[in-house]
Amino acid sequence: MPTVCPTVSFPSTPITTIERMSDLSLLFSYEFVQNAIAAGLLASVLSGVVGTFVVVKRLVFIAGGISHAAFAGLGICYYLGMNPLIGAFVVAVLAALLLAWLGEGGAGRSQDAFIGILWAAGMAVGIVFIHLTPGYAPNLMAYLFGDILTVTRTDVYLLAVLVGAVLLVMALFYKELVAVSFDETFAQVQGTPVRFFVALLLVLVALSVILLIQVVGIVLLIALFTLPPVIALMLALRSFATVLLAAVLLAMLMTTGGLAGSYWLDLPSGPSIVLFGIAIGAVVRGVVWLRQRPRG
Amino acid sequence: MTAADCLLEVEGVTFGYDREAVLRDVNLRIHPRDFLAIIGPNGGGKTTLLRVILGLEQPWRGTVRWHRPPGAGRVGYVPQFSTFDRNFPLALEDAVLMGRIGRRGLLRRYNREDRKAVAAMLERLKLTSMARAPIADLSGGQMQRALIGRALVAEPDILFLDEPTSSVDAETRTVFTELLTELNRRIPIVVVTHDVTGVAAQVKQIACVNRKLYYHGDGQLTNEQLAEAYGCPVELIAHGVPHRVLSEHPHHHH
Repeated sequence: MPTVCPTVSFPSTPITTIERMSDLSLLFSYEFVQNAIAAGLLASVLSGVVGTFVVVKRLVFIAGGISHAAFAGLGICYYLGMNPLIGAFVVAVLAALLLAWLGEGGAGRSQDAFIGILWAAGMAVGIVFIHLTPGYAPNLMAYLFGDILTVTRTDVYLLAVLVGAVLLVMALFYKELVAVSFDETFAQVQGTPVRFFVALLLVLVALSVILLIQVVGIVLLIALFTLPPVIALMLALRSFATVLLAAVLLAMLMTTGGLAGSYWLDLPSGPSIVLFGIAIGAVVRGVVWLRQRPRG
Repeated sequence: MTAADCLLEVEGVTFGYDREAVLRDVNLRIHPRDFLAIIGPNGGGKTTLLRVILGLEQPWRGTVRWHRPPGAGRVGYVPQFSTFDRNFPLALEDAVLMGRIGRRGLLRRYNREDRKAVAAMLERLKLTSMARAPIADLSGGQMQRALIGRALVAEPDILFLDEPTSSVDAETRTVFTELLTELNRRIPIVVVTHDVTGVAAQVKQIACVNRKLYYHGDGQLTNEQLAEAYGCPVELIAHGVPHRVLSEHPHHHH
């Protein structure tokens, strides 16, 4: 049976934790490990920044719809022998624009139900095209659940460019994106092109989806959009900028810690990152609860 | 008043969200020194009328015409409490700073002038000590003042308030009364409310909306006119000083 979710399971002979710690430098000398860590950190920047907008603007279900719709493009490109991420990219952006239009009351204000349809339709189309492709397609399972260890150096450069582009757009329109997320109506009365910025936010979500697919896969990426900002919000931070920063740092902790856990515990990388994030969230929630408890 | 000094004219506006019209053939004029209260029962279309005036909704029929359009970002708007998330991670001064967004325009950051305007506004509203506090920590009255501060830092040419008296403490009420009276010497103020008593002392005109606009003017609003608008007999009660817009009435407490 082919490996569905590859793990960092080398060297194969049983060794102690001490020995594993000492061979960390050896581990980091592997290019695919460097690539995995670089991709994880790049993904963390987006998951923290874009994820914070997703959480405060309540776009979680929309983000899920976009990522699952992207599977259709992935499957089609796989069938055509092209880079599947190009297909995922195109379909994710189209889905984002469609949902932005529906959110404005297009086609009779049915955005919520339509997200569900888009979600399932994307998966169905993707699976059909994979089925039609001759031969076995083990890589596609990695797109579903993440396979950060197969990220190449070229992928890392591409991801860096993508992260740079998203951050640049975010920085240029930061004032508007925060205002639209907080109070759309007020921003519109002040003359801000609200529709444009809502659509822009969804396109940024779509771009981030492509990046996060490589790290934790389509099914699990929603965790990277939600866990870091939700934990950052638990810390009761005062300003939006500090929440963004805290979310990025938490996402970095989550991806690197999750990767380390996957290595030490011999677990698949995607689920390991998600579960480590949930553990961080539980600890932070517990600490917050203890501190808020009335004393005496 | 003649049409010439009219600032904003709503003419024959019909609008609804689904098939049924919420507003039918509404006509309304706003003049430069008006202090207009738009009153009416819940679900009668008060807030909808405000949304049409603000350009947030396009009327099915009729027009909203600005005779002297306000400059970019010069429309002051104080929304109802429920329109945004109180737990949004935002410091009070950053929330108020958003009032400058229309003046600043795209691709420009808020500058020192904007921050000075915000600091002065917070001082005026007795909110300086809370400047860095997250909005989630504000009391109802403080939040209300923050929202009016956000509207006023834009130095608006007209101010719209949607249900401003819903959660007001004594300090807020005092600050509000002073501020609105002073503002009204320069700009028109439009208040949408189901409870006219909160602003009764300052109101100069009343428009009563229940699908249609039943009454609009400076004169005395009678119980009969109110009853027609609300569809049932309503008592006019003023808890403050009965103003000329409210007819004389024995003092009741409910």
